[in-house]
Amino acid sequence: MVAGRLLIGALVLGGTLSLAHGAWIPAKAALAQVLLDHAWQETLRSGDFAKPWPWADTWPVARLIVPSHKKSMVVLAGADGAALAFGPGHLTTSAPPGASDNSVIAGHRDTHFAFLGSLKPGDTLQLQARDGVLHDYRVTQTRVVHETDTSVLEFGQDPMLTLITCYPFAALVPGGPLRYVVHARGISSHKTQRKKT
Amino acid sequence: MRLGFRLAVLWGVGVLVSIFSAGAYAASAAALGQPMQLKEAKAGTLLVRGDDDLVLRAAPMLGTDVEINVTGLIARTVVTQYFHNPTDAWLEGIYVFPLPQNAAVDTLEVRIGERVIVGEIKERQEARKIYEKAKAEGKKAALLEQERPNIFTTSVAGIHPQGTVGVRIEYQRELDYRDGVFSLRFPMVVAPRYIPGDPIASASSRHVALDTDQVPDGSRISPPVADPAGRVINPVSLRVSLNAGVAVRTKSTSHVIEVSEKSDGVLEITPAQGAVPADRDFVLSWRPALGEAPKAALFTEVFKGEEYALLMVMPPDAAAAPAPAPNREVIFVLDTSGSMSGTSFHEARSALRMALRRLSPADTFNVIAFSSSARQLFRRALPATPENIAKAISNIEGLEAKGGTEMLSALTLALRSPPSSERVRQVVFITDGAVGNESALFDYISLRIGKSRLFTIGIGSAPNAYFMKRAARAGRGTFTYIGTPEDVHEKMSGLFAYLERPMLTDIRLHWPGRVDETYPAPIPDLYAGEPLVVVLRAKDLGGQVSITGLRSGEPWQQNVSLENGTARAGVARLYARRKIESFRLNLSRLQEDLGYEEGRKQFRDKIIETGLRYHLVTRYTSLVAVEKESSRPHDAPLKAWPVPTHLPAGWKLEKIWLEKPAMESEAATAGFISVEKTSIQFEKKNATDGKRLAERRWKLEERKPNALQRQIASAQPLVAAHLPRTATPALLFVLTGLLLLMTAVFLRWRVRTQW
Repeated sequence: MVAGRLLIGALVLGGTLSLAHGAWIPAKAALAQVLLDHAWQETLRSGDFAKPWPWADTWPVARLIVPSHKKSMVVLAGADGAALAFGPGHLTTSAPPGASDNSVIAGHRDTHFAFLGSLKPGDTLQLQARDGVLHDYRVTQTRVVHETDTSVLEFGQDPMLTLITCYPFAALVPGGPLRYVVHARGISSHKTQRKKT
Repeated sequence: MRLGFRLAVLWGVGVLVSIFSAGAYAASAAALGQPMQLKEAKAGTLLVRGDDDLVLRAAPMLGTDVEINVTGLIARTVVTQYFHNPTDAWLEGIYVFPLPQNAAVDTLEVRIGERVIVGEIKERQEARKIYEKAKAEGKKAALLEQERPNIFTTSVAGIHPQGTVGVRIEYQRELDYRDGVFSLRFPMVVAPRYIPGDPIASASSRHVALDTDQVPDGSRISPPVADPAGRVINPVSLRVSLNAGVAVRTKSTSHVIEVSEKSDGVLEITPAQGAVPADRDFVLSWRPALGEAPKAALFTEVFKGEEYALLMVMPPDAAAAPAPAPNREVIFVLDTSGSMSGTSFHEARSALRMALRRLSPADTFNVIAFSSSARQLFRRALPATPENIAKAISNIEGLEAKGGTEMLSALTLALRSPPSSERVRQVVFITDGAVGNESALFDYISLRIGKSRLFTIGIGSAPNAYFMKRAARAGRGTFTYIGTPEDVHEKMSGLFAYLERPMLTDIRLHWPGRVDETYPAPIPDLYAGEPLVVVLRAKDLGGQVSITGLRSGEPWQQNVSLENGTARAGVARLYARRKIESFRLNLSRLQEDLGYEEGRKQFRDKIIETGLRYHLVTRYTSLVAVEKESSRPHDAPLKAWPVPTHLPAGWKLEKIWLEKPAMESEAATAGFISVEKTSIQFEKKNATDGKRLAERRWKLEERKPNALQRQIASAQPLVAAHLPRTATPALLFVLTGLLLLMTAVFLRWRVRTQW
């Protein structure tokens, strides 16, 4: 009976840990945005990039605003796993946010970029660059591509914003080969009031 | 807007044909032409097999005639595209095609029977409006637009039933001249957008994504792919007239060629098989007879009352006056920040080890490693003796990747003191470029680079290419990208072979009085075998130009006469094209000075002004040709057709992802199918000749970067091998956790009930 109790104990422990870990991922994603927001305000104020916490290997590079979904999130430098856990990541190989070229941002399909599936052509996206300038984009197309279809990273001659997340949205196991891509075209840019912290 | 030496991208862009999204156009077999023999086929006619096999019929298709005239340093190319319509409907054709990067396109003519409509240069939007209006009115019209610096689109409206329309475009370009060999390339093929060292296929996957969407305009769609089973579509007949003296040796690495000599000493070169399928680029190179290689050449043109010139100077050859390899001081800077950890760091270390072993004892070197702070191996650069190299290598082994990225302190260490006068300092910077304070770094590099040269090496799957290319440009060096561990050896060998060559640095041109603008500016360093090529505008050309520089650290000077240039049409447009190129290089600076919107507007205005003045197609100006009278009856609707593109030689249509493009054979029998944007995957045929040929060509290209083209091609983007992974296992963990807990509850309940 000792073995049975041990087994049950192990199951309870394992189950709790797994559950906690699963719950921690979205919690971390939400919490990090609060810290990132401070760093972003600092960046807007000083004009220099600021690290959200001293040992961070990434820093905020833009703010993505989705008026239709009342969403606003801080975008980090780099789209590697470490950065994506805290916020959407800007692909460093793509154009800097706000440039007259294709800026690409990737985010987790189950946290920050879960809303991507409900974006429609015509929706407005806003990207605030480091200099405080707010760039408006209009969604032109949404599509599903294979992960090797790097044409979505193509450089262009006009301001463009490309958002990428994994597809399908509800898949249980991560790491599938498909990506959901939202293309948006720049429509205008305007200076905003720099927020004081 | 992007920089790096990516000459081979020229090759990587192919012929694409797209259609107007008018929906499916049913072309029944009856609409196809009469059965005909292969040998009767002229350019512009596509032969397809219908259901009744064996019989070949003409189908809606285009062919291409190419004539290249080479005189001096300039190749003038005339491309005639035939749009043929064997159906009883009015058609519109849209044809997207590649041209060599920086081709100066100045002429568009539409030929219908005996009539010729000549295109005029207009601002892009205006040209588009004129074309759309003519199309709506049932007039024949053609529009030539630039989509990328090396991709153009021709649209032709109003191709009459059973009719053929010829669209003729003309452009010119300087030849590539290096190591005493001239070469020219005519791009023809749809190919994966290959960027050297940046393979689209990852090591783990045999699949290669083929980028077929070169057209940013969403209303246009991808073409169906022709059956690779052997039918020739889009046959290209090609002829090169070479006026380069009698005793030249010609060679083509792409096609078997036939060379015949005309009476006036002009060589005529054609592919031996006649018309060729557009499945590979045409490459031709030739070497002037010994002792006849040009040392300097001057071509001039008077355009709208101003004088323009193209000057080519070959610095004294290494063989003629052997210059010792430069004594170098090589400073290696290695990024050991946390973002480099893992494979990247492994690659970086092996690249560095390789570089160290290649140093010659006459060189001096030092290694700087940086993360949150920078530290150097030796107090100052030491001779590259075996002991010192061994010491450096053992130190590198002990390095770990962690901490921040304080790049500025590393640059300060590398550049703080000027190099000793007899040495060339080359700073080799190995990093993933994940930095935040980019503009501070650029400023520092521009300010402190002096006689040093900065070569950046990007490591890992997603280095910050934008930063590294700009840093290399500010540091007057080059950017190399190492994507996978397999690349390390080849890329580092290539870079070092290049760096070890004797070279001419700090080149300055001292013009007599009235030369007002020259390009490129500043003049890039020249490595052995590269000529100096400058285009200029002058008020009154004459006298001589004095060229000064440092050759292996020694002052060097050469005077070249600016008298007696050979008059050659097209020089002014080469100048204009270079001028536009320089606008692009300065765009970001313009935007920093004037603000984003204003900078962009000025950039656009300058390009439009230059395009209109020199009658050139640019990103903001297009050529449009419209006939005066309408020829299409108003009630006859205009349809569009899709034209299949050819697969590159050596590629096999194996697996199509998402949607199957219409096969050309199906199209011939069942009507053309309008295909939505598709992503097509091709599997490489194992060890096919075509692929090997292609690879060899890549390598060839990589080894021979021309200084000018390096600058130009640097505008090409760097593409990552994969899109990022963007899903968390959160749900998986939650469900696993719940499952385990439920099992525990269930077991506990079983235990209870048993008792």
